[in-house]
Amino acid sequence: MPVRQLSEILINRIAAGEVVERPASAVKELVENALDAGARRIEVVLSGGGSRLIRITDDGAGMSPADLSLAVERHATSKLADENLESIATLGFRGEALPSIGAVARLTIVTRMKGADSAWEILVEGGKKHPVKPAALGEGTRVEVRDLFFATPARMKFMKTERAETQAAIEAVRRLALSRPDVAFTIVAEDRAPVTYAARTDDNEGRLARMADVLGGELRENAVAVQGEREGVGVTGLAGLPTFSKANSLSQYLFVNGRPVRDKVLIGAVRAAYADLLHGDRHPVVALFIRIDPREVDVNVHPAKTEVRFRDPGLIRGLLIRALKDALGEGSMRSSSTGADRLVAFARRHVGGARAGSTWRGSAAPAFAPGFAEETQQAFDALASPSTDARANVVPVAAELLDRPLGAARAQLHETYIVAQTRDGLILVDQHAAHERIVYEKLKAALDRDGIRRQILLVPAVVELDANDAANLVERADDLAKLGLVIEAFGGSAVLVREVPAMLGETDAASLIRDLADHLAEWDASLPLERRLLAVASSMSCHGSVRAGRRLKPEEMNALLREMEATENAGQCNHGRPTYVELKLEDIEKLFGRR
Amino acid sequence: MKVTLERAELVKALAHVHRVVERRNTIPILANVLIRATKNGLELKATDLDLEIVETIPAEVKQASATTVPAHMFYDIVRKLPEGAQVELQSGSDKSALQVRAGRSRFTLQALPETDFPDLAAGELPHKFKVVAADLKRLVDKTQFAISTEETRYYLNGIYLHAVDEKNARLRAVATDGHRLAQAELPLPKGASGMPGVIVPRKTVAEIQRLIEDAGEEVEIELSPAKIRFSLGSVVLTSKLIDGTFPDYGRVIPTGNDKTLIVDKSDFAAAVDRVSTVSSERGRAVKLSLTSGKLTLSVTNPDSGSATEELEVDYGSEALDIGFNSRYLLDITNQLEGDKARLKLADPGSPTLLEDSEKSGTLYVLMPMRV
Ligand SMILES: Nc1ncnc2c1ncn2[C@@H]1O[C@H](COP(=O)(O)OP(=O)(O)OP(=O)(O)O)[C@@H](O)[C@H]1O
Ligand SMILES: [Mg+2]
Repeated sequence: MPVRQLSEILINRIAAGEVVERPASAVKELVENALDAGARRIEVVLSGGGSRLIRITDDGAGMSPADLSLAVERHATSKLADENLESIATLGFRGEALPSIGAVARLTIVTRMKGADSAWEILVEGGKKHPVKPAALGEGTRVEVRDLFFATPARMKFMKTERAETQAAIEAVRRLALSRPDVAFTIVAEDRAPVTYAARTDDNEGRLARMADVLGGELRENAVAVQGEREGVGVTGLAGLPTFSKANSLSQYLFVNGRPVRDKVLIGAVRAAYADLLHGDRHPVVALFIRIDPREVDVNVHPAKTEVRFRDPGLIRGLLIRALKDALGEGSMRSSSTGADRLVAFARRHVGGARAGSTWRGSAAPAFAPGFAEETQQAFDALASPSTDARANVVPVAAELLDRPLGAARAQLHETYIVAQTRDGLILVDQHAAHERIVYEKLKAALDRDGIRRQILLVPAVVELDANDAANLVERADDLAKLGLVIEAFGGSAVLVREVPAMLGETDAASLIRDLADHLAEWDASLPLERRLLAVASSMSCHGSVRAGRRLKPEEMNALLREMEATENAGQCNHGRPTYVELKLEDIEKLFGRR
Repeated sequence: MKVTLERAELVKALAHVHRVVERRNTIPILANVLIRATKNGLELKATDLDLEIVETIPAEVKQASATTVPAHMFYDIVRKLPEGAQVELQSGSDKSALQVRAGRSRFTLQALPETDFPDLAAGELPHKFKVVAADLKRLVDKTQFAISTEETRYYLNGIYLHAVDEKNARLRAVATDGHRLAQAELPLPKGASGMPGVIVPRKTVAEIQRLIEDAGEEVEIELSPAKIRFSLGSVVLTSKLIDGTFPDYGRVIPTGNDKTLIVDKSDFAAAVDRVSTVSSERGRAVKLSLTSGKLTLSVTNPDSGSATEELEVDYGSEALDIGFNSRYLLDITNQLEGDKARLKLADPGSPTLLEDSEKSGTLYVLMPMRV
């Protein structure tokens, strides 16, 4: 096939795919345009999840008829006056949004410049531009997008349910509303009551008020103010208390210079700041506003402009973690940290988690050399194990085990920790955490292998949800059935639970379903159902699991070490804590200042 | 107060009363038993704010008065007194302590003022009827095991007691936990007609089961939509009812199950119990494979092994494989009174009906498991 230049219309449609992925992205672009135009009030109207109609009306600067005609052209923008991509102060700058929307929908813009006495209108249909003609409108701009994706039916197939799309579009407006408390927003969507966020003052107080408007008063009672500054970069906002956490990260509102972003550096910093305060599957609620010299951050990473690249990500990360920890009251505790803390901090960097697993698996464990220290041990074992006896349980070294990754068990301390010796260091194992992990992995394998038995419910349970969540869950019904949970759609906004995993016993279907919905709202969340099943399973086999406070014979210790080597993810217990810590001889030497 | 009474009487009454008292209490007086000496004897009363028990026992009252003392300790003391002892209770004028004397033993218990003791104001209890104690016991025993313990569906945390006012009117008890359902009934006692359907909480049910052993011939029941009172001989138990709507259970009782299996109850239970020995905690499923005249029970547990057992049964319908939670099956077979268990089945995904072979007024519904 000969190479040929694509037509303008086709180019626009292709580009549109990146800018307007779904109605919510169109809404975001248009509201950003209104904000860039200096609007004080913005009204957003949605119909049919935004696919049928999006109408955004603002009282901003408006456009001249000539600008209007140009605005719908590709790469036409008024926002890069000096051809300088380095210091972007507006939300838009690519000159892509309007032509992209125009390429895949029927776009009508009516606008009247401040001070002008007439309004003008333009229509772009599937990329075909109609001439500008006179119209009637007060000062400002009204953008109407009808039949989104009518020109690219393939995209239409990817639309979620109407309610889900409405929800996402509203979410986009809420994010922008958070960043601009000084602008009034009204959201009108078919199936819900209109919402108005009144204009607030453009200061900290106004911001707090707007946060309460958007995120609910609950957050304010359950959050602390965040304030931080480092090398000209500032962060303000609210940090939810750990007890106010959510099952997904949708309630993390992050802004860079007023631009809502989903950025890995920022998300990672938030996670790190809360790491010791929250379980791995909980997510904090935060609203954080970062102020930074526009030259220090590149917003031109992706057409949707939700990703940013910081020139100095380490600085941002450090600032955020510090500010959050200070706010959450960790700062004061940290100052009292002792030498032991430092040792742990030091050793933590060397926990085996990353190395655990595959490299060791498959290497056959050498036959255990019987006989060592058995005499002394066994003599006392008959006397059971008084837990008050905290004497170290010392074992002579089994030389042939020194080469194993987790070495040869040498002692048990406090009936909780196993000390093992390797050729070039020592290993400290938390026996309970380690065994828990092993049991967990075994159960997981068993569940994978045997499947999960399902108890049918006498009366199917109806669980009311957000329509969005219900749709998401029903979409995953097949996966859930594999985990023993059989559900069906029930009306628009509920699911019907027919069968539950038998091992959960009598379980509260409603709370299980809500938890699942919370998680499914997020992309990559692993299923909490699976976790619950495993939690139940591991607590059931608890009697088979070695707890802290139990004396272990040398054979048992070594067996545990060998089993850890053979277990996937053995470096961390189910709660994400390390199961063992490795100190290399050089680390120990460093600790004592020998190196 | 000054009272003398038989240790045996006091032990028996305290044994009843002290059970209502929770071990851990944030309100100190709830740990106490109220002791009131009147001309009728000695009244002992305990409450957990949901449930109140009052027992009156004969005593020689020399001086009437009332006080409260720690229930568990009082019970432990009296229990350890020698058999046949006479116990003397005495409180001084300031009532800050109660002296317990028997033979040469002497205890002083700290008391809290009786005026602070909470009262479960029962209010008007307009519906009143009598039930033979043994009948009430059956009603409760046959259904109690199916009560749900899951707290979010609080309205299932009890036995639903209601009148079925049809042409042969009955008093019916129903309990379900969403996996199985148990129903038992009696001819409707005089006076019970028109009573509201009430949900009697699990703890109250358990108390009745215990108290009924010592009760006389008849139990008097009085109730309103909010409270219920059982008078069992010298004991009066008053309880709040669960404020909720019991689901329309009638819908889940199958009527068209046409495959009937009749099996010797004890053989069946023993076989289920045997094969489920190898079942894993993760499910406890037992599979019933039915062919003409034969039932094969089987359990497979990939972790430990498998088990099968065959039983000769009375079954003439088409072959069927169906799975159940073995514990649920055993719970139900344990309740059956006749020698035979009668199972009415439809298919592996629909409720199964279990009945006593005799005319017993009970029925059980069990939801299968997918195996
Ligand atoms: N609501 C509005 N009021 C006034 N002018 C507007 C409005 N919307 C768009 N414009 C004008 O149209 C131009 C093109 O808008 P468009 O959204 O396509 O590009 P952009 O905002 O410059 O950049 P980006 O593609 O990053 O959004 C803008 O630069 C602006 O001058
Ligand atoms: Mg724009």
